[in-house]
Amino acid sequence: MTAAPVQPFAIAARIRTAWIARSRQEQLVYKLLLPVFGSVFVIATIPFILATIQAVTSDSGEFIGFDNFARALSNPLLYESLKQTGLYAAIALPVEILGGLGIALLVHRTVRSNVARAAIYIAAMIPIVIPQIAVGVVFRLVYAADSGILNVLLGQTGPNQPLWLSSPPLAMIATASVDIWQWTPFVYLVMFAGFQTVPSESVEAAQVDGATNWTQFRHIELPYLRPLLLLVLFFRIADVIRVFDHVYVLTGGGPGTTTQFLSLYIYRIGFKFSDLGQASALAVVVMVAMILFYRIVSRFLPADRA
Amino acid sequence: MKLRKWLAIIIPIALVASACSSTSTSSGGTATKLTIAAVQGVEDAGLKALAPMYKAQKGVTIEIVEAPYDDLYSKLVNAFKANDATYDLIMMDDPWMPKFGTDGSLSDLGPLGIATDPDVAQVVWDVGTWPPPRGPVPPSETSKPKQLLGVTIVGNVEMFMYRSDLTPTAPASYDDVLANAKAQNKPGELAGYIIRGKATNPVVADFLPILWSQGGDVFDENWNVVLDNDASKAAISFLVNDLKGVAQTDPGNTDASDRDKIMANGQGLQSSVWPGEINTAVLDPAVTKVAGKVTFIPIPAGKSGKGVGMMGNWLLGVPKASKNQQAAADFIKWMLQKDTQMTYAQNNGIPSRTSVLKDASLTTANPYFPVLADALQAPPNWRPRTDQWNAVETIIGTHLNKALTGGETADQAATGAAAEIRTLMKGAGYPTK
Amino acid sequence: MRRRSRGITKIATTLLLAGIAFLFAFPLFYLIATSLKTKADLFAPVPSLFPPAPTIDPYISVLFTRGFGGLLVNSIIVGVSATILSILLAFAICYPITRLPASPRLRAFVLNWALSLRFLPPVAVVIPYFAIVRAIGLYNQLPALILVYTIFNLPLAIWMLRGFLDEIPLEIEEAALVDGASRWYAFWTILLPLSRTGILAVAIIVFAFDWAEFLFAFILTATPQAMTFPVGVQGLVTQFEIIWNDMAAGGVIAILIPLSLMIIARRHVLTGLTFGVIREK
Repeated sequence: MTAAPVQPFAIAARIRTAWIARSRQEQLVYKLLLPVFGSVFVIATIPFILATIQAVTSDSGEFIGFDNFARALSNPLLYESLKQTGLYAAIALPVEILGGLGIALLVHRTVRSNVARAAIYIAAMIPIVIPQIAVGVVFRLVYAADSGILNVLLGQTGPNQPLWLSSPPLAMIATASVDIWQWTPFVYLVMFAGFQTVPSESVEAAQVDGATNWTQFRHIELPYLRPLLLLVLFFRIADVIRVFDHVYVLTGGGPGTTTQFLSLYIYRIGFKFSDLGQASALAVVVMVAMILFYRIVSRFLPADRA
Repeated sequence: MKLRKWLAIIIPIALVASACSSTSTSSGGTATKLTIAAVQGVEDAGLKALAPMYKAQKGVTIEIVEAPYDDLYSKLVNAFKANDATYDLIMMDDPWMPKFGTDGSLSDLGPLGIATDPDVAQVVWDVGTWPPPRGPVPPSETSKPKQLLGVTIVGNVEMFMYRSDLTPTAPASYDDVLANAKAQNKPGELAGYIIRGKATNPVVADFLPILWSQGGDVFDENWNVVLDNDASKAAISFLVNDLKGVAQTDPGNTDASDRDKIMANGQGLQSSVWPGEINTAVLDPAVTKVAGKVTFIPIPAGKSGKGVGMMGNWLLGVPKASKNQQAAADFIKWMLQKDTQMTYAQNNGIPSRTSVLKDASLTTANPYFPVLADALQAPPNWRPRTDQWNAVETIIGTHLNKALTGGETADQAATGAAAEIRTLMKGAGYPTK
Repeated sequence: MRRRSRGITKIATTLLLAGIAFLFAFPLFYLIATSLKTKADLFAPVPSLFPPAPTIDPYISVLFTRGFGGLLVNSIIVGVSATILSILLAFAICYPITRLPASPRLRAFVLNWALSLRFLPPVAVVIPYFAIVRAIGLYNQLPALILVYTIFNLPLAIWMLRGFLDEIPLEIEEAALVDGASRWYAFWTILLPLSRTGILAVAIIVFAFDWAEFLFAFILTATPQAMTFPVGVQGLVTQFEIIWNDMAAGGVIAILIPLSLMIIARRHVLTGLTFGVIREK
């Protein structure tokens, strides 16, 4: 041990000994990982830094501290937007996850022919690859009053027809339905593949023991699917909170502010009001909130194989 | 190291391949190409017809890049903020110009050779001047010299259309409009008045003439908000209560194209209308069912007694960052010439020269041209000249839409919008009370 | 008794599935129907379910008259390049943490960071990205989109690829290493062929998401030299015109390419969608 008159020397020496102590393999890990991961990390973090800088400076570049944050957080429309986003998630997510799971269960149990399964598979692909703008416009053509096909098919025409896009509760349902249409097939595909790999021995054993369909599902298949289910759930939560494209086309945030979800709200502040300071402050707040939310949530995620 | 080798090969190839597909921007020298940022839709139809003509005459290629209304605004704001030289000319809706003028993003066209011409209505030159020659001026702009920053390329003034076969006498005021609407309204068959109620820009465009005709306004001469005074409140109530009572099924979701469709199908009695949209449906022989039955007039007067139209000119401006200033200005000058304007008008463009608008040969195809000429001479009102207009319009539009869809009352819309606008303007440095 | 109830269950489930299939297929059907309508059809007071006089004019208009063919090419270039780049980067990041003895904390850190990226609303970072792209001179150039798409798809690519790589036993490579092969040789001749399925699956999914992206393509491009197809199709939705038939045609065209890709490689895609955690038999 060197007597260290200067502290940095001691630290550097200790780091060096620790490095040598690692196996060559571990050194390789860092040598490979650091450049690529490091650069990606930096590139992905720069916007966060820029947004923070923008959030604490005025238009002319002076440091103004937390003014923008104060303005952003004191705007009642922000909280309304958050509430509406939460409502949207509460409607769309359960239907997507449970619906996808349910349909996967149904198909797995009852559809035997490979041709049928392949056909369903291909059909389920389509909502994923369709451009958002097309989704938005098609559903506008379906839901619009007077020029939309839905009311025509329901036989509800005339002045008292349901206004799917102009009545606040209906508009929320209409927008959520688009999300459900687009993403339930995705959940289905993931869950369906999951069902394929539950070991057939366990299933057969359970059936021999006289298990009903429900017990079989609950005690045999579900445990296998749990990690996958959680993963899909968190990806969908992340996506639903970020939703923008199809809502923008379908309702533009209306009626009033009913479907003005978080992303649309930030868009409004940043692009319509051109208030980049406040928009950046919002962005920073959202990012920080997401990171915190994620730390809590990551305990439940299968980041590592058990 | 094979992985790195692959990376080193593939990435440059991809980048080079994509870079090759991009053309290089000309630097210095005489311009051979001008890029115009234009609004997607009917408003740039005439411009698209002019482009090949210009190339034939002057050898300069005109590249027109289109974007829908909202998107164009965002695009331009971003481009100016970044001092981007991509666009040599831009189309802007006249309410946007104050922001671009305040930010100093546009070049003065006077020194570039554009001179005012008496054959074009004075209001056209006025609306393109910054700071504005009349009306309240934003506090930060009062000391700036007046410059011509934009020239009208689409001479839009909002007008009024009605079914003259059903109501032969033209409505002279909004009270007449309402009376006719009530008389003729058959829910589900014929809407007495078609409200263009979609949120933000659409509903505000439909509403402002009503507001002014009733004697209300958004701001007064000193930038105080008067949207919640009695006259304004009455106007809002007129829209969301009286007119809604005789309107089509879903006013909150109706945009211009929807109301044209309703009118063209003979399912509406009257509505406001922009000249640019008339030929898309109501006068389009392929789809209209009301040929010869619709008459166009200036916006009816209100309690104030004056028929206050609203102008919505599209201006052509030259960004300061463009590298082809003189060439761009030359295009504008060429576009203003009478012969160009004649061709422009024959190709669905809306000219601004009075002589062209009153030309007999064009009136058959465009019966509203003479009305437009008179409307321009009136002069029509314009939207408040403030760099915050987009935000103000969003606020008003959201509240009006909310009131139209039953989310709040007219009074709440008035007070809510007024409060938000006050906060906004004060935050932007205006002496608003 | 059993047989009878089985029969009823079968009918019931078939009906249920058919109903669900119908609900999901209907918007797509209507999209195609709209893409075959004429302008006059669009103006009909009561919209029709089927195009009365089907025409492919909207398709011609979109591809040729409006010149969106060039935008389609841009989309393909960006999609392919971004996918290749995503896979390369995902590999470079996944390899050390799955095939080498990385500490579990490091592994967890990388994976969690990747997932947290997905929580970011693009709208929140669009302006900073615009500033960066401007600063490095890539505004209105395709490489800007390629880079941004790569970053935004990295979480998905990393998670999916990790799943695949975890499936392949370490022993196979170890055996080669013990026999004296270099690590890179082992990677190239053993690991890569085994992970072909995974790579293909990741590639197709990432491509599909890149293909439909709109916001960044819109903000980071200014002229048709760099605009992608979704931006062009979006431009068809205007205040004053009703050109839904062209827009619908654009939508249908936009579906066809990734869809054909997926159909060709369906087996791989299915495995990929389960993040490799589960492998189809």
